[in-house]
Amino acid sequence: MRLLSLTARVKLGLLVAAIGIGIAAPYLFGSFIVGLLSLALIAGLFAMSIDLLAGYAGLVTLGQAGISATAAYGVGYMANKVGAGIPAQVLVGIAAGLVASAIFAAMAMRTGGVYFIMITLAQGMIVWGLSIRLYKITGAENGLTGIERPSAISEYWQYYYFVLAVVLVCSFLLFIAVRSPFGSSIKGIRESESRMRMLGYNPALQKVYVFMVSGFFASVAGILLVYLNGFISPFAAYISASAIGVLEAILGGIGTLIGPMIGAFIIVYIQNIVSTNLERWPTLLGLIFIVVILFARQGLVGAVSTGWHRWLERRERVGPGDSAGDVADRPGDLSLESSEPR
Amino acid sequence: MAELVTEAIPREAVIRAQQRRRRLIYTAAGIVAFALLVWWILGKMSLRSFWLQSLNGLSFGAVLFFLASGFTLIFGLMRITNLAHGGFYLVGGYMGFSVMKWTGNFALALFAAALGITVVGLFTERILLRPIRGLEKPEVLLTIGLTFVLGDLSLAVWGGDPTPVPVPGFLQGPLRIGDFAYPRYRLFVLVCAIVVAIVLFYIERRTRLGAIVRAGVDDRETVAALGINIKAVFTGVFMFGAFLAGFAGVIGGGFLTLLPGQDFEILLFGLVVVILGGLGSLPGAVLGAVMVGLIDSFAKALVPELSFFTLFAPMALVLVLRPQGLLGKEE
Repeated sequence: MRLLSLTARVKLGLLVAAIGIGIAAPYLFGSFIVGLLSLALIAGLFAMSIDLLAGYAGLVTLGQAGISATAAYGVGYMANKVGAGIPAQVLVGIAAGLVASAIFAAMAMRTGGVYFIMITLAQGMIVWGLSIRLYKITGAENGLTGIERPSAISEYWQYYYFVLAVVLVCSFLLFIAVRSPFGSSIKGIRESESRMRMLGYNPALQKVYVFMVSGFFASVAGILLVYLNGFISPFAAYISASAIGVLEAILGGIGTLIGPMIGAFIIVYIQNIVSTNLERWPTLLGLIFIVVILFARQGLVGAVSTGWHRWLERRERVGPGDSAGDVADRPGDLSLESSEPR
Repeated sequence: MAELVTEAIPREAVIRAQQRRRRLIYTAAGIVAFALLVWWILGKMSLRSFWLQSLNGLSFGAVLFFLASGFTLIFGLMRITNLAHGGFYLVGGYMGFSVMKWTGNFALALFAAALGITVVGLFTERILLRPIRGLEKPEVLLTIGLTFVLGDLSLAVWGGDPTPVPVPGFLQGPLRIGDFAYPRYRLFVLVCAIVVAIVLFYIERRTRLGAIVRAGVDDRETVAALGINIKAVFTGVFMFGAFLAGFAGVIGGGFLTLLPGQDFEILLFGLVVVILGGLGSLPGAVLGAVMVGLIDSFAKALVPELSFFTLFAPMALVLVLRPQGLLGKEE
């Protein structure tokens, strides 16, 4: 009698290996690569927060960068204009991000599907527009600079470990969240709103909850990023930032937690290593977007998982727990539509 | 209809009376709010600048109408949310700029660019969107990717400097009526929009083509069953929407100037127009465009720092009170 199925053991092994490499990374690579790894981890957390909405709740957002940028501006404002200490910076940052998510959620809660996408896109772009206009708070196009990390994590490798720890904790929290009754109820929203209403849930309220949870993790990502870069500018809220997060989630595999992280590593790698010699990054980004949407909506994790289960089935001795995939981790499909028009 | 199971089902007439009463209250509240707003604005600025800002807002609204009407038409019929509409606008404007530079003929520039974008629309609908037809979310995301490509390629071709589309001599300079002067070009844009709006309304309400499109909005399957080639209608409508976006780019480029990044900025305004007016509704596009144009113009004059927030607030209000938009159909 085995304690864990083969699938679970393989997953666990890969996860331990990944964390091991993550811990060893500063000993293996130089400062540039370690900096990129920090960036990729933050991008991964951001993409996970999008996936909580897009993959689990079935609500694709194109305005998530508006929330993370609001949080980052909260930090930047306290650091640059008020001169407050680190705890106040972080608190104001998280609070700003949560207030933004609450407002966004209240506006979008009665919609779904494409309407939700349009509204969140407009919301994100309005944050971008406001960050250009409200120069007393945001420093307009120049943004806010000189945002310094606490001295204990000021070195690049120290900050890398800090980011790694925060991202791991957040991933663990998300892992628990999507397996909790809360996680099941938001998946219910994705599958059928009218049935959830029959069961006594209030879908609008559920959407606000999941939006707020997602906004919290997006805010954490935004704050990690602002301390990594030391500055924040309106571009952080621009549509491309949100769209890249969505792309990462889809590329890795929507409806899984590890997928968005893998997608983030791939995109950060392409953006910073492959395309340094290529002037036309947005074109490449757009083409990746189109190709992924046309041919790879299932994402990498989805494809690997399908292949793996097919391989398991073909083996002679199929354990009862092996062939059935983990229901909670079933890769979502972007094409999944709720039963209502919107 | 799930909620009806648990409650007693009210009579149709009662529901309709309730709806009528609610609509009356909202309309009245809207008119009062509008009157108060005008009164407040007139306290802040002279009558002359009030008219000036109104015309500025209406002419900007005219450009938004070209954009939003195509967008809303495509959505209404095909349920495709074409976020590449902003990209179509920008590339159309740049094409018009180039044709204008080569030939100096504004009408030619207008139609050449609009037809160029129509071809882009044909390519988009036939090659890119056809394989994922009916998958709403992938369709939307694909058009976002397309916008990145269009925006970046136009940056490569036309550069990053602000580029105004040159306008012909007879449209330059102000038109004077008494001691009131206003740029001729903006008035021309306004007249164009009114003409296009009338033509669109006529086509939608009075022609066989309009009847097919309206029927397609309500029930695509039945239309197809009646022997109408609905796929061809889809392609045609998509191309026509693209045509309007390209047209908007040239005409808007005449006074808004073309800039990299304007694809998403004009898309934002277009989205707010359809969210306010109601997605899929032509009268909604008119109402939304007028509202957004005026709001933007007066906000820029009165509260320049908050000019984006003034878009946000009415959008939030409409979404909370009437998620389907002011003139949108309830689903």
